[in-house]
Amino acid sequence: MGSGENIAASGPAKLEARHVRKEFGTGEDKVLAIEDIDFAVEENEFCVIVGPSGCGKSTFLYLVAGFEKPTAGEILLNGRHIEGPGPDRGFVFQEFALYPWKTVLGNVSFGLEIQGMEKKEARRRAEEYVKIIGLSGFENAYPHTLSGGMKQRVGIARALAYDPEILLMDEPFGSLDAQTKKLMQTELLRVWAKTRKTVLYVTHSVVEATYLADRVIVLTARPSRVKGIVEVDLPRPRSYTDDEYLGAREKILGLLDEEVARAFERETSQAQRTDEGPAT
Amino acid sequence: MRRKEAVLRVRDAVMFALPLASLIVAWQVVASLGLIRVLPSPTYVLETLLNLCRPAKGGTPIILAHFGASLFRVGMGFSLAMAIGVPVGLLMGINRYVNYLLHPVLSLLMPVPTLAWVPMLLILWGLGDRTIVAAIFLGGFFSIAYNTASGVRGIDKDLIRAAYTMGASKWTLFSRVLLPGSMVSVITGLRLAVGYSWRALVGAEMLAAAGWGLGFLVFAARMVSATNVMFAGLIVIMFAGYLMERYLVGPLEKRTVQRWGVVRT
Repeated sequence: MGSGENIAASGPAKLEARHVRKEFGTGEDKVLAIEDIDFAVEENEFCVIVGPSGCGKSTFLYLVAGFEKPTAGEILLNGRHIEGPGPDRGFVFQEFALYPWKTVLGNVSFGLEIQGMEKKEARRRAEEYVKIIGLSGFENAYPHTLSGGMKQRVGIARALAYDPEILLMDEPFGSLDAQTKKLMQTELLRVWAKTRKTVLYVTHSVVEATYLADRVIVLTARPSRVKGIVEVDLPRPRSYTDDEYLGAREKILGLLDEEVARAFERETSQAQRTDEGPAT
Repeated sequence: MRRKEAVLRVRDAVMFALPLASLIVAWQVVASLGLIRVLPSPTYVLETLLNLCRPAKGGTPIILAHFGASLFRVGMGFSLAMAIGVPVGLLMGINRYVNYLLHPVLSLLMPVPTLAWVPMLLILWGLGDRTIVAAIFLGGFFSIAYNTASGVRGIDKDLIRAAYTMGASKWTLFSRVLLPGSMVSVITGLRLAVGYSWRALVGAEMLAAAGWGLGFLVFAARMVSATNVMFAGLIVIMFAGYLMERYLVGPLEKRTVQRWGVVRT
């Protein structure tokens, strides 16, 4: 049940990664970021990818978004091959990536306008999503006047407004303080329950992954492979102190610990090598 | 609140005027003691300035005729620099190959002092507006093109990615992301160019003007050793440059980048 290989074959998946491999650079500078990632995401599923820092999980999300192309293998959305970025995928960036010259409403309606929706209709639709995300009253505010949490609310509303097939989230709450992060996680689940959008979410936090996910994909240290897949079949909202929650968390941590140690070893050995260079 | 604002405004004005006033007082003292032979006293310069406000032949005050000639040339040269510099900079920012082609050229030409071009322009077009306008254009063009280009290239990659994810075409990306996104740098380029234009103007007028222009006035005054006229001219140049920067670039900045909060006010 916990192994990912069979899921891809079990039915029409929403998103399917087939033996994805990604190298950067050429010749001596060649770096293998992703060795072989193979798993599928079901419709309406909240799927979280965790892995040690620098493991290539964000790179994988970029491949799904179409910002980069895989070196080998393929990624399918609704059975169709992904060619470059497009509005069938919504992306939420860690650093928000809001347009500073647009108001909250302008940011949220931008995607709709790009896709040719009539301006009035785009505004109405954007207002709706601003409301869903809990930013009513801030429609005409510019991003620089908002807190980090509010900015990311705009980021999420913007990605949801044009109704993509899947929501890709790249450590969306990584730059928020602990309190705001908790609040935003709850808010995200509230919105998710409302829209039932398929979500692929990247984080390095096991606590966050266990709190949010239907299923957690654990990646190895670089070059990444799928280390294991953990189903978190618990009702929401989840309690951080619940035994079952802690059990699932331990299971993920168990898979991850070894990889974190490996990543750490690699980093420190690299640091030592640079230390041994010029005398300090 | 209102009252506090007014108090602050008065304070700012005083802070701005006080050093200037002290400078003028010191100037008066130095001049009346005759410490520097060529230095006219501020009162004498003021008198000269008032004298220059006498109407010339056509009925306009002399100083205004000089000022008008200069303003026309700066207006032409600066507008040309902007009209060509911004598109060239944008092209360099968008297209890697245009950038490969133009970046080295610009880097080499930018540090050439504008006045170094004037002798060549003189051979080409002789004395007159055309030569001076061309010099002003060269004075402003490089900083505008260069800053615009680096503005486009400096745009946060995620802003571009976000647009593509939402389905933006290349044109939409350009007009609605790259253009507004490079505004801070474009304005910086324009601001620098205003200063360079005035400098180029005055220099070029000294070498290439026939009859009118603030630079011409200051330069011509040397023939009769009229340092009072030189200073009067300098003061007009100073104020004109300051006002141009303030009322041309300032409002543009306030309406765009300051409102967006991308620069500190």
